[in-house]
Amino acid sequence: MISVNNLRKEFKKVIKDPGLKGAIKALFRPRHEIIAAVDGISFEVDKGEVLGFIGPNGAGKSTVIKMLTGILTPTSGSCTINGKNPTVDRKKYVKEIGVVFGQRTQLWWDLPLVETYTVLKEIYEIEEDRFRERMAFLNDVLELEDFIRSPVRTLSLGQRMRADIAASMLHSPKVLFLDEPTIGLDVVVKDNIRRAITKINKEEQTTVILTTHDISDIELLCDRIVMIDHGKNVYDGSLRELKRNYGQMRELTFEADSASRLTAESFCKGLKLSDDDISIKNDKNVFTIRFNSDSMPVGDMLNYTLSLTRVKDIAVKDADIEEIIRRLYKEGADKSE
Amino acid sequence: MNKLRKQYLPFVRAGVQNLITYRMNFLGFIIGGLIYCFVMYYLWKSVFMASGGDTFMNFTMSDMVLYLFLSNVAGEITFSSVSNDIAEEIKDGSIAMRLIKPVNMDLSYLATELGGTAMRTVTFAFPVIIGLEIYRYVTLGIVMFNPINLLLFLLSIVLAYLVAFRVNLCFGFMAFYVKNLWGMGILKNSIINFLSGSLIPLAFMPDGLRTVLEYMPFASMSYTPVMIYMGKYDTSEIIFRLGIQAVWAIIIYGISKLIWVGAIRKLSVQGG
Repeated sequence: MISVNNLRKEFKKVIKDPGLKGAIKALFRPRHEIIAAVDGISFEVDKGEVLGFIGPNGAGKSTVIKMLTGILTPTSGSCTINGKNPTVDRKKYVKEIGVVFGQRTQLWWDLPLVETYTVLKEIYEIEEDRFRERMAFLNDVLELEDFIRSPVRTLSLGQRMRADIAASMLHSPKVLFLDEPTIGLDVVVKDNIRRAITKINKEEQTTVILTTHDISDIELLCDRIVMIDHGKNVYDGSLRELKRNYGQMRELTFEADSASRLTAESFCKGLKLSDDDISIKNDKNVFTIRFNSDSMPVGDMLNYTLSLTRVKDIAVKDADIEEIIRRLYKEGADKSE
Repeated sequence: MNKLRKQYLPFVRAGVQNLITYRMNFLGFIIGGLIYCFVMYYLWKSVFMASGGDTFMNFTMSDMVLYLFLSNVAGEITFSSVSNDIAEEIKDGSIAMRLIKPVNMDLSYLATELGGTAMRTVTFAFPVIIGLEIYRYVTLGIVMFNPINLLLFLLSIVLAYLVAFRVNLCFGFMAFYVKNLWGMGILKNSIINFLSGSLIPLAFMPDGLRTVLEYMPFASMSYTPVMIYMGKYDTSEIIFRLGIQAVWAIIIYGISKLIWVGAIRKLSVQGG
């Protein structure tokens, strides 16, 4: 369905020295630097698959999405979606895809929301019956009814995002590109949007590529993830596998009765763990211990802590995706050294 | 055709909506244009008085008034902000949202502008033309209005618009390379104002220069329709000039398509 092969995108960047002097220098003798925002990314996506495309900020996710949607032309490498090259015959290609950029909107800003949908109906040449059926479906899943007659500029972020998602799904695209569709939304709206994505994926076998920083988005939606950093592939596989390999970090937070007998050093010494497997931070009486549950089972960790001091409040947390990414990337950096 | 109308009508509507939202802008634009015309009127009046004769380079004062205001009318009708729009959309990245729609880029920009152009034609161009005819009747005592010339003028102004739109489109595509067009825009406008004869009639230029300029695309953008309305051309010359306009419209269309192919490769949408 989607095949990305050694994709690369370079940007030219003007280097400026700081201050007025640097600005004047750059005016007369601009120096350029070529930056590879995307540096040889490859992956495949099957029909009907939901792919989580993740990576830290500035990793090149959006640039890849923009190349896949035909907005940017790759410097080298290729991508084929549904047998088509996005930069060749853009008009035909974009008819088969739906795109949402969480930070932008494709809705007609000054018009009532419903007008945007009638405009899209004409642009995508959707038949009247099909359109009505589709609107009923989207209304049902995304609950647009309450604000469909309001001008877009008066919508809240959550309403706008639901409306944008609906706009991207209106023409039954074969592939849906969602670039941070849940950014800045509350739990209810997130849930709404996830349900819509799941439903359209199950019912129409729509292939979905999703970028997000929200671990629950990935857990609830994605069959597979591709992780990139600094424009390069870091990981490609299922989420379960990733968690098994990298997700063993747990976070123990507690408030000690008295901090007098407890120091970070005492923990390290007492547990005989290497620096990679444990890190401790404390703010007065509140301690946060991050440890690898492979080398130190959670139960043992709790016992040891309780044997040292009386605690008021204690909580154990799973590692979040940021932590996994951090570890994964650190590993990548170590390997390349 | 019906499909085309249905697909691009929303863009026309959005353009009109925009105009209504920013109506003070629109009003300022028109009033500014009128003030400019009157300033030029007094300037040329003093030129005529200083030269001592009734005519100056084959133009009577009433010709001059006609020329000044008609140039402005032509300027209002052929006005195109497409280069600014493209530059703005590239700067804030919203051009991405245009690119993910299965619509033709040039046509969607053209449609967005047509609403405003229609508004300016109805609210400004026609009243000024009526005013000019009244002025001519009052000063000369005879009805000079020639409906055929008006029709030919309209045909010529459509061609002028197509040329002007494409020139601005090409210029707008430069934003793919240079990021900020503002300074270049001022340069472009001064060049066009001078070379198209909207500042000084091309008829006043030295013969050699005039001939060259008359063949350039800039004359097609304002000078040709104005001269046609004024009845300065005979039938064969009118056909010839319309032909030149049409040829330029086609050439610049081709050029804009070529530039687009190169420009889209250069696009870099930052952020988001």
